[in-house]
Amino acid sequence: MSKQQVVTIKGTKDGLILRLDDQCAYSDLLEELGKKAQDPGLEGAVEVQIHTGSRYCSDQAAKEIIQVVQSAGHLRVSKIQSDVITMEECNRRVQEQQSETYIGIVRSGQEVHAKGDLVVIGDVNPNGHVSAAGSIYILGRLKGKAHAGNAGNREAVIAASWLEATHLMIADQMETMTDELAILSEHPEMECAYLHTNGFIAIDRLQDLRLLRPGLSTFKGGS
Amino acid sequence: MGEAIVITSGKGGVGKTTSSANLGTALALQGKKVCLVDTDIGLRNLDVILGLENRIIYDLVDVIEGRCRIQQALVKDKRFEDRLFLLPAAQTTDKNAVTPEQMKDLITELKRDYDYILIDCPAGIEQGYKNAVAGADRAIVVTTPEISAVRDADRIIGLLEAEDIEPPKLIINRIRRNLINSGDTLDVNDITSHLSIDLLGIVLDDENVISSSNKGEPVVMDPNNPAALGYRNIARRILGESVPLMSVDTGKPGFFGKLKSLFSK
Repeated sequence: MSKQQVVTIKGTKDGLILRLDDQCAYSDLLEELGKKAQDPGLEGAVEVQIHTGSRYCSDQAAKEIIQVVQSAGHLRVSKIQSDVITMEECNRRVQEQQSETYIGIVRSGQEVHAKGDLVVIGDVNPNGHVSAAGSIYILGRLKGKAHAGNAGNREAVIAASWLEATHLMIADQMETMTDELAILSEHPEMECAYLHTNGFIAIDRLQDLRLLRPGLSTFKGGS
Repeated sequence: MGEAIVITSGKGGVGKTTSSANLGTALALQGKKVCLVDTDIGLRNLDVILGLENRIIYDLVDVIEGRCRIQQALVKDKRFEDRLFLLPAAQTTDKNAVTPEQMKDLITELKRDYDYILIDCPAGIEQGYKNAVAGADRAIVVTTPEISAVRDADRIIGLLEAEDIEPPKLIINRIRRNLINSGDTLDVNDITSHLSIDLLGIVLDDENVISSSNKGEPVVMDPNNPAALGYRNIARRILGESVPLMSVDTGKPGFFGKLKSLFSK
């Protein structure tokens, strides 16, 4: 029986793809990968993508693979792709996609955190704090502090039936709602805050959200 | 089996002690057997407002530490026969002398003999507050039409909602008619919609509250006083009666009012 190729090289218009066998031993794989990388047939600086198939690569393993491939000097790994993720990672991703609902009033000194989007049905009173990795939607009055995209998502928004917050934060950007922001004192009703392309938090009518952040819609089908 | 009600506010000086004294007195006037418990250990006041300061022999800490029986520490208000008692706080120690479990046992024991136990809570949200809330079945939050008092009330309501007791009710104290009519202060609707809890009643600001407290006679004993009316209405609502909320708005005098003022000139 002829030995199966552990590393297959495939050329595409975007560069080379190294397809790694997912059944063989990891040590065999590294060894073979080292040989292939030293192959004199590969000339000049080339970008490669690595596909690991159904083999799970921890961060440590991924680093090792990159190191072995790049050790020859002329290959540069642009991406490692795998068909599998851990349960933990999967759960985290599901949670980030989910929206959590809090019914009640977030009172002074209370904090509500969500791993995905957060829907609050009730008010957020002054000194109350809501935060979410995704967007925050408040059916009620937001009079406290809100932090959307707290893990760095700059697309997140804060929408409220009554936006009168003392502090608004999106990703790492913070805005204190002082009197200078005339837009608020005039019409706090049905507003949304988002991160403007100029890097500052801007506030607009809730109805404009469909133009500002069309990607937030998860609704499929209809018409 | 009686009911224990804690009277709290978060902020100091909004009228917890005055409200406790007046509501206790009003309930006693309605024929209920009432025990007032002062949990403000180290800064007791309730005895002074009730005019019972000179008759204190033992206090709450003496009871908890077993130096006397509970009956020995209770001070009877002679104006109400056997219906109004005070368990005074200790003055020589501090709030850490008591634990919430001890307070709970004490209140449970008192509930056997009294219809209502009103617990006067100290200001703040630390040990004293935890002790006061420990034995309570219900809570009354006192606030005034000031933004700082309302903020603190909001905080305390949040803490109370996390406890295993009935949803707290609100008393708005020290309402000044002239300020509300001129729009210079928060009105009753602003406060109730901000805090979104049930309003138990409102009490108008009145100078006699201070003078009668200084004399050791709760103002509620004067049936013609506007603040007393507020407290009496609240006591009736605690007893389950439905009493309409009194109007704050004096507004313009009506036709008869004008006529009356014409003759009274």
